[in-house]
Amino acid sequence: MTAYTICVFTENTIGILNKITTIFTRRRINIDSLTVSETERKGISRFTIVIHHESREAVEKLVRQIRKVIEVLAVFGYLNEDIAYNEIAMFKIPTPIGAKPLDIETINKVHKAWVVYWHLTYVIIQKTGTEEEIFEFFDYIKPHGILEFVRSGRVAVSKSPQTLVDYLPEAEWEYYQ
Amino acid sequence: MEFNENQTQDAQIAEKPAPIATPELINGSHALIQSLIAEGVETIFGYPGGAIMPVYDAIYDYQEQVNHILVRHEQGAAHAAEGFARISGKVGVCLATSGPGATNLVTGIADAIIDSTPMVCIVGQVGSHLLGTDAFQETDIIGVTIPITKWNYQITNPDEIPEIIAKAFYIAKSGRPGPVLIDITKDAQQKLMSKPFLHKKCEKLLSYRPRLAPKEDQVAAAAKLINEAKKPFILVGHGVQIAGAEQELLQLIEKADIPAASTLLGLSSISVDHPNYVGWLGMHGNYGTNVLTNQCDVLIAIGMRFDDRVTGDVSRYAKQAKVVHIEIDPAEIDKIIKANAPVVGDAKKALEMLIPLLKENKHEAWRAEFKKFDAIEDEKITQPELAPTTEKIKMAEVIRTLSDKTEGQAVIVADVGQHQMMTARYYQFKKPNSFITSGGLGTMGYALPAAFGAKVGAPDREVVTIIGDGCFQMTIQELGTIAQSGLPVKIIILNNNFLGMVRQWQQLFHQKRYSFVELQNPDFITIAKGFGIDGHTCGAREDLNDSLDKMLASDKPYLLEVLVEKEENVFPMVPTGACVADIRLE
Ligand SMILES: Cc1ncc(C[n+]2csc(CCOP(=O)(O)OP(=O)(O)O)c2C)c(N)n1
Repeated sequence: MTAYTICVFTENTIGILNKITTIFTRRRINIDSLTVSETERKGISRFTIVIHHESREAVEKLVRQIRKVIEVLAVFGYLNEDIAYNEIAMFKIPTPIGAKPLDIETINKVHKAWVVYWHLTYVIIQKTGTEEEIFEFFDYIKPHGILEFVRSGRVAVSKSPQTLVDYLPEAEWEYYQ
Repeated sequence: MEFNENQTQDAQIAEKPAPIATPELINGSHALIQSLIAEGVETIFGYPGGAIMPVYDAIYDYQEQVNHILVRHEQGAAHAAEGFARISGKVGVCLATSGPGATNLVTGIADAIIDSTPMVCIVGQVGSHLLGTDAFQETDIIGVTIPITKWNYQITNPDEIPEIIAKAFYIAKSGRPGPVLIDITKDAQQKLMSKPFLHKKCEKLLSYRPRLAPKEDQVAAAAKLINEAKKPFILVGHGVQIAGAEQELLQLIEKADIPAASTLLGLSSISVDHPNYVGWLGMHGNYGTNVLTNQCDVLIAIGMRFDDRVTGDVSRYAKQAKVVHIEIDPAEIDKIIKANAPVVGDAKKALEMLIPLLKENKHEAWRAEFKKFDAIEDEKITQPELAPTTEKIKMAEVIRTLSDKTEGQAVIVADVGQHQMMTARYYQFKKPNSFITSGGLGTMGYALPAAFGAKVGAPDREVVTIIGDGCFQMTIQELGTIAQSGLPVKIIILNNNFLGMVRQWQQLFHQKRYSFVELQNPDFITIAKGFGIDGHTCGAREDLNDSLDKMLASDKPYLLEVLVEKEENVFPMVPTGACVADIRLE
């Protein structure tokens, strides 16, 4: 199974998420992660969808089906090597009195993770990185006990120098100030 | 502050009385009708109900401009709109209320998307303040129809109406046509627009840009393959008729002398009389067309999508051939069959560009190959079916006699089942745009309303529909619509007292275990007469000619029931999962 990152640019309208995901559902393709946000252009949303699939051909067909959704402006399918990508994770770690103290230096310097909230009985640590880096940290911190763990979907930007405007030259984009 | 989704809202927001439309500012319902008129709509197939009543109130004022036809079930409206669209090339329009009215359209919408039929369905919705409250007749029809519409949209503000309706028509008709559903909340129908009504046709969208003219290099690559071919073979799909490319197709096959076969929905795009026409493709298609698919060297598919009923086992389909695929929908390229030379564009445009690049050619020996198979099929299947020695009438005789009497010029609308396959086999189409049937979805009950819609769309043409006794009972109530309109739709029921196609499969693949396929039927003629439609039952071969003559001579709707052999099978047949070359003759 190969990981594919599919970036979909759409008009930001009600129900568009449903219109996109139903294309996956119908083909029984499981979505590993999904992130949606507005882009640098007003009214244009960017979906970053990660799936695993054994057939590149099937993913190419999927991409062409997504392109058929009327509100979709552009779709790109990427292999991991085509993109710079990251995720963000948050860990709630207990810090009871008498327990082994957290090694903040290792957490910061080795794992590039940061405590973002202190409480009397726990801390919240934020870690940004790839899935592998996050799970490396997960294994490191596990002995302390994990009260809660959450991982965001992937965000990714292609390494290609082209921008969306290159694909949609006719568009008159309104940029954020 | 934590978000609390359990906060209840006061559901008792009073509905304000609808403001009265002024000459300057009109309400959403009037805006809707005016937008439809601006889009050239003359006919609406519909059915009223609570959530669409403001629109019906408005239609009352526009009866001169738009012909609203009251169907008997919303499924009938959808199929009628499809039949209308298929024959006229215009967008079919249907109108229904929310909830059950909208869900009754669903089968027709699913049928329209898979058969690329342009349609705009307008449905009412509960007031916007009631959305999500499980209000009376509230169905999330947007959610329901996402996978079966080309586009759908919910309007909650009357100001949006002109722009959205214009967009709906543009999307439905352009590129690969398809159904669009517009859901309009009741308050948006009632409220006044905040600005003067202005309808501008939509000509272009940023996100949706169908390609009409293919890329020149793609056309050149296709031309090269075709010019080098020794045994080229053309597959004519529905796209030829949708694009109106019948003339270009003739030029192509004549210039390069290529044999051409047709998919179910491509039928009638080339006349059966044309020397290069070699027949019908697929599961119940002709012998030669199927076998020789696996012997041609270049397969030229035009406006078709390699449906599994055409290809049989894909892994053994035309493996030896280079494939040229001319298709407007890029998602169809390589979806089922890999194309060596894809040509993305409208069939007419593509052929116009392709023809000048083609060499004049002769492929007589290759074309003659098809004849050899025809002779075998003729002897084993066609002749015995057309001139049977058995007592009971066979479907094939009825269809061929009808074909002769109408000189292959009628609009034929077939329902789904054995009678559909027999119609495709035995009607000899000689005029383009003459065959309408539910191909992709195989929707039983399609034909009666679709034939009515076709008659509305082409009042000057003879429209004859061929329906099985099972199918007929799925949309039988549309006899009422036909009777009320008075339009002379000619209806033939081929009555075998069976769900024949299913029975055939049970016979061939389930050891004749006939599981729930026998029908005890009503007296169809009495039913027709109850609707005010004249009819006749033909049970004997001697009576067939006269019965058909009488039906065709009638200037009113007419029902002819023909009692046919009960356990007849459709052959040839490529069983599911078999290879096209292994087509069975018995
Ligand atoms: C709505 C729907 N339900 C079920 C089927 C499955 N089906 C396909 S053909 C057929 C039998 C049709 O019977 P009839 O109308 O009598 O035609 P015949 O095959 O006997 O000519 C059935 C049940 C279908 N295609 N559509």
